[in-house]
Amino acid sequence: MQVSLYRAVEAVFRKEALISLRSRASWLVVLMFALTTLSCVSLLMQGDVLSPRLAAAMLWVILFFSLLSGAGRGFADEEQEGTLMALSVYGSPQAVLFGKGIFMAVLLFALSLLIVPVYLVLMDIPVFSVLLLFAALLAGTYGMAMAGTLLSALMVGAKAQNGLLAILMLPVLLPILLPAIVLTAGCFSGEAVRISYLVGMLLYDGIMTLAASLLFDFLWYED
Amino acid sequence: MKSCEKGLWLFILLLTAGLFYAVFFFVPPAEGLGSLVRIAFFHIPVAWGSVIAFLVGAWYALRYLRRPGKRFDAISAESARLGLIFVVLATLSGAVFSKLTWGAYWNWDPRQTTIFVLLLIYAAYLTLRSVITDERRRARVSAIYALFSFLTVPFLIFIIPRFYFSLHPSPVLNGSGSIEMDPVMLRVLLLSLLDVTLIYIALLGHRVKEVHHHET
Repeated sequence: MQVSLYRAVEAVFRKEALISLRSRASWLVVLMFALTTLSCVSLLMQGDVLSPRLAAAMLWVILFFSLLSGAGRGFADEEQEGTLMALSVYGSPQAVLFGKGIFMAVLLFALSLLIVPVYLVLMDIPVFSVLLLFAALLAGTYGMAMAGTLLSALMVGAKAQNGLLAILMLPVLLPILLPAIVLTAGCFSGEAVRISYLVGMLLYDGIMTLAASLLFDFLWYED
Repeated sequence: MKSCEKGLWLFILLLTAGLFYAVFFFVPPAEGLGSLVRIAFFHIPVAWGSVIAFLVGAWYALRYLRRPGKRFDAISAESARLGLIFVVLATLSGAVFSKLTWGAYWNWDPRQTTIFVLLLIYAAYLTLRSVITDERRRARVSAIYALFSFLTVPFLIFIIPRFYFSLHPSPVLNGSGSIEMDPVMLRVLLLSLLDVTLIYIALLGHRVKEVHHHET
């Protein structure tokens, strides 16, 4: 039966949403990881005030490592449950990539919306431009989700998966992390930031999506 | 074939010896840098080698994906191994130069950052290769990673200089299109680039042949 790509993506998205609602383990771990890290940072700072730049860098480091533990689950769970074969028989590669990727993006963005306010409250940081912070979070978490989905598919069958994603992800994600930190620092300090940083992030997100889409076919159709 | 390889190595040996002599006895001390400029004749060529190895690795990764063959995978992997060595040498020699001229081994200069990212990519690529046991899957997966990480490079080249202030001397081929260098220095530098490229080609050929030999 031939289904349109949109329908297929939607089906994979729904499947992912259903599974993650049923077993809350994957996103609960991400959330707790983030809360543990940021309370750790906050405790160790003992009430000292961070400069906007440092606060922004710290926030993105926390987001990077905590969201990473969720972003890598995309295919690792399928592999563990033994459902990868069925998925590869029934799903077209593009549907699987985009269904999983978009769901992951939504999940990571939602989680970041829970994590960031806690960070802001604990560290006592004012936000001058909420909209810009939103945009930076959206562009950042989307990139992380897309790269994470492709890279977690690469890691299927690897011997030592713990920590591997961080190693693979960091060089790929640097063009997103660096502008994200500058934008966030601007939001924290109230100084004007060039919007070209955001455009750069979006451009990189677009290129990464295109590349993931082109490369994923090679991974899916194994001979 | 065998004598051709020997000839290449002999040529490389003579060229390298000649370059050593030229760098220490012909090249005049540079304005402001004095004799420290001699490090550049090692540093620039190895940095060049690491970039060439990266490009070759990505190109053969692409060729592997289009038409899977063990040889393409071997070239891509061996190129990354050589690239890692080059990039480590470039980073270390750069750090020494940085310490002697600017007083610190490391200060996240744009070029230091870019080369560091290249180092991270090489390390990640080789780590990925080491954790996948199935040969064909390893080849495919690492080719995909090589191409995916290749994307970041143009972005970093444009983005990073906006983030960090640079003390690094402007590239020999700079934006203005003019070459501001002592003619003797320039010739020696170009020859040393040729030397490193030849060393890279010779080592790559040797390593790929060894892998092939080992498998058959």
